[in-house]
Amino acid sequence: MNISVKRIQAIFMKDYKEFSRNYVISSVVLMPLVLALFYGRVGSNSIDMYFLPLNITLSMVTTYVQACLIAEEKERNTLRGLMMSPASTFDILFGKSLLVFLMTGIILAVSCYLVGFAPKQIIVIALALALSTAFYLALGTICGLFTKSIMEASLAVLPVMIIFTFGPLALALGEDHLLYKIVEVLPSTQLIRLAELSQANAAFTELIGAFSIITAWTAGAIAISVVLFNKRTKDL
Amino acid sequence: MTAIIEVQNLQMKYGKEEALKNVSFSIRKGEIFGFLGPSGSGKTTTIKIMTAQLTHTGGQVSVFGQPASEMNKGHNKSKFGILSDNSGLYQRLSIEENLLLYSQLYNLPKSTIEEALAFVNLQKDRKKKVNQLSKGMMQRVVLARTIMHKPPLLFLDEPTSALDPVNAQHIYNGLRKLNELGTTIFLTTHNMEEAELLCNRVAFLHKGEIREIDTPLALKKKYSDHSFTVELENGENHVVYNGEQGAVQLMEWMKAKRVSRMYSNEPTLGDIFVQITGSDL
Ligand SMILES: Nc1ncnc2c1ncn2[C@@H]1O[C@H](COP(=O)(O)OP(=O)(O)O)[C@@H](O)[C@H]1O
Ligand SMILES: [Mg+2]
Repeated sequence: MNISVKRIQAIFMKDYKEFSRNYVISSVVLMPLVLALFYGRVGSNSIDMYFLPLNITLSMVTTYVQACLIAEEKERNTLRGLMMSPASTFDILFGKSLLVFLMTGIILAVSCYLVGFAPKQIIVIALALALSTAFYLALGTICGLFTKSIMEASLAVLPVMIIFTFGPLALALGEDHLLYKIVEVLPSTQLIRLAELSQANAAFTELIGAFSIITAWTAGAIAISVVLFNKRTKDL
Repeated sequence: MTAIIEVQNLQMKYGKEEALKNVSFSIRKGEIFGFLGPSGSGKTTTIKIMTAQLTHTGGQVSVFGQPASEMNKGHNKSKFGILSDNSGLYQRLSIEENLLLYSQLYNLPKSTIEEALAFVNLQKDRKKKVNQLSKGMMQRVVLARTIMHKPPLLFLDEPTSALDPVNAQHIYNGLRKLNELGTTIFLTTHNMEEAELLCNRVAFLHKGEIREIDTPLALKKKYSDHSFTVELENGENHVVYNGEQGAVQLMEWMKAKRVSRMYSNEPTLGDIFVQITGSDL
């Protein structure tokens, strides 16, 4: 696998320029912030309340915007050009994920501040959020690669939002419910669990379970996105 | 001369539909090769196979002495350039910004952007956003991007379909110059005058089969009816054919010094195209 920092940077800069001139999609970024501001005002202080705007950011910004960026490259036939250039699969996928990754990081940090969530173990929370971001990014890439236009990608993202962002709400149904068992292994649920444990000053060994589940989801989603991308290098 | 592309008994099926049947040809280094045929005859399919965007279902295809499927490997990607109808541009970026991205992807110095802009005569419009350009201008930007890394082999799939004659001429001159510097060009076009102007050799593809492949001159001779038009001093036009009768007639006129002009009635590539593709529609 050849990796070129220069090429990754070139793709990132290109994405940045295009994104900053795309008012429709770039305004999406503001929505989770508005929501976080609202939650902050309401004055909630439970972890799952803190994490609702964070999980919404991950699906609305990370997955949705990433899916749109990839789908637009397909819609405009520019992805083909990248694939035919000397940029490797890694260069393209990494370069094309960088912008949304950084944006997500900023929005998550600002959202934490706005809702009034102060992590006690900041490295643990940062790591968990970074891993989750990578998962939602890969999910967005998959949605973008599966669809042919921004329109289609916007629709494909809906189930992702419903399952991953609002899934954890089903925990309220109680441990005996069938849905509970399914929802429990979602990365978004595990993220909340992890944050709860961390806020209770858990030792790192207690966090390994949640970290492993999130990592497994992330690795799986990345693997699928790479396979799908390589398939797309053949005729579209 | 060495072959840069070698295609033998190429067959391509899309499901049940046979897009290419037993296509064979070879392209020598330094050629401008015209791949001519009506829409749907299989031109784009052939290019996609040669550039590893499609996997063929039969026959052998080699490019630079390697199987065509190797063309998507990193070290091969900068050896060729491809322009086709699925070569898109970033709509919200300027012409220059689009070229800048590619100069970085191919690891080229900034001066190549300048050369590429000059190649397609777009220096003055460099700051314009792509979404404000006409179709012809976009096609020129894509062409600039395609030739920017000066690859030894170019695949141009209908590169001038949206261009006006002045810009087309400018592009032809540029392509000839590139060719003189050693670039091999595989060109598809509907424009027979373009093929006649540029190509050393052409192939006529029809319904997935090559019907003719030769130099334009040889094809013209082959499809000629060997007649000549003679224009006399008094303005009369006569057609004479090779042979006894024609010779006697011509000698009479010439003895009497009545011939003012005389030319061979060879077909154009366009005539040949119609004859090949129109005969069994
Ligand atoms: N992706 C595809 N799936 C099915 N059939 C295709 C596909 N691409 C091209 N074809 C068919 O293959 C034939 C050749 O197409 P193409 O190579 O695009 O021709 P040309 O470039 O000469 O116009 C046509 O009949 C076309 O319908
Ligand atoms: Mg075509």
